[in-house]
Amino acid sequence: MTSIDVQQLTKEYGTTRAVDDLTFGVRPGQVTGFLGPNGAGKSTTLRLVLGLDRPTSGTATVGGRPYAAYEEPLRQVGALLDAQAAHGSRTARNHLLALAVSNRITPARVDEVLEETGLSAVAGRRVKTYSLGMRQRLGIAAALLGDPAVVILDEPSNGLDPEGIIWIRELLRRLAREGRTVLVSSHLMNETATFADHLVVLGRGRLLADTPMREFIASHSKPRARARTTDPVRLRAVLARAGHDLTAVDGDGDGDGSRWAVDGARAEEIGRLAAREGVPMLELADEEASLEDAYLALTASATEFTAGPSGALTVPEKPAPRQEA
Amino acid sequence: MSPTAVLHSEWIKIKSLRGSIGSLAAVFLTTVAVTVLVFATVGRAEADNADAEPLFDAFYALNFGQLAAIGFGATAVSSEYVNGALRVSLSAVPRRGLFYRSKIAVVGGAALAVGLLTSFTAFLGGQAFLGQHAIGLGHTGAVSACVGGGIYLALMALLAAGLAALLRSGVAVLSVLIPFNLIVPFVIGDVAGGAAQFLPDRAGQQILREDPTGVLGGWAGLGVMALWAAAAVGAGWWAVRRRDA
Repeated sequence: MTSIDVQQLTKEYGTTRAVDDLTFGVRPGQVTGFLGPNGAGKSTTLRLVLGLDRPTSGTATVGGRPYAAYEEPLRQVGALLDAQAAHGSRTARNHLLALAVSNRITPARVDEVLEETGLSAVAGRRVKTYSLGMRQRLGIAAALLGDPAVVILDEPSNGLDPEGIIWIRELLRRLAREGRTVLVSSHLMNETATFADHLVVLGRGRLLADTPMREFIASHSKPRARARTTDPVRLRAVLARAGHDLTAVDGDGDGDGSRWAVDGARAEEIGRLAAREGVPMLELADEEASLEDAYLALTASATEFTAGPSGALTVPEKPAPRQEA
Repeated sequence: MSPTAVLHSEWIKIKSLRGSIGSLAAVFLTTVAVTVLVFATVGRAEADNADAEPLFDAFYALNFGQLAAIGFGATAVSSEYVNGALRVSLSAVPRRGLFYRSKIAVVGGAALAVGLLTSFTAFLGGQAFLGQHAIGLGHTGAVSACVGGGIYLALMALLAAGLAALLRSGVAVLSVLIPFNLIVPFVIGDVAGGAAQFLPDRAGQQILREDPTGVLGGWAGLGVMALWAAAAVGAGWWAVRRRDA
């Protein structure tokens, strides 16, 4: 079992707590979405897991050991932290080759991951000629280099075109199917909803949720049903007696074409009421809540999260990179 | 982790960057080109001067080659500080001691090999233009000057490499070391003769002289320069070990 385990992890920069007493685990065989707004501490947490930053307190382990304790870590853990990190003057192949050689991974494997990420044709070009999407693919190629049991990707869909986004989604699903531990950070809810099985949600460096995605959506969204009827006046009256409100979604709010919504009720309850009272229904269905709605509901209710004067942007996601010639 | 594998990886990083492999080549090319230029034109006239120092003068072009050596040491390390490249490197080689040692060894080894080649080529090449004034490797101190000149270039590269790890920027290293080497000795040179001879370049160049000036002999001077380089490499290690990547 190669899990990622974070125990009471805290990281302070000066007086700012970027990560605050964080405890969670990431299990193999599923894709875990790592969510939170910019500055929530996602990237800091990932750097702590990879031993790049030193925690103020607490521990982060992969497969029960600190990352730095691995003999050849790329064979256990593959990570994409920042697609810009490959030196622009190097070719993609040389970038990957230098990484591979240090962990005694064969050069043939470099060609395999270049093929897998669709970069074979441009592998001899300097990275500075790459688009952001191509750099993301290169970063993912580097993460896959050692055929690792654990894959950690920070915002992998950044800059990818629609085709690339579908590719990364299928890649993540496949990696999880193969039994790997997959942790993917993102601030894009709709995107995350397409590949995640489990969610770890951060806000201001604290854990807000660590649950399967379906449960997360169910527990952080109110039921809502959509309906169409030939007799909205009677339906409204019937629902009012049961304590529900009928609201117009579109149409003129009158004729058969109008769509209605009932907040806080499920289709089965409304169906039963309408049948008992003989209100003709043309359409009735539960509205599936989106991950985005559930996420916004959660973050709005997390008081420590909304208490700050300027929202969530007080902690920089990454230290500003230093420039040089 | 396998130290050989990490050394190999660091060598790939250096040779795959035009900036670092180019400045390494420039150590040789600049020194030899300046030597040829100077010796082919004013070589004999200079050698005829009463105050000529045939051995020391043979390495005149090292003053230019050392700038390329500084550039090499600085770029080889500072390329890790562009856009968080260090995070990628340290996730492949999380043992920072091994990572830093390997990088310093490759920078020092490459600079030493090219430095020795440069120093011997410059010496022998320059003398070829001097006719009757020419000296050979049999001249007193000539071999140790050639070997010392190679070590001098390698130590210069290491000084720059250590500072680059400390300052995390190639530009910062160049703006510290180049004035330090070119200007400071001239400004304080003869005013405070005592202190100036312990500056890295002054001390290191004693090995190039047939009759060392000041209190430091040839190898002692190179030793003082090695202490400077060791201090810079040590400070760089402190930074790599202590700082978050």
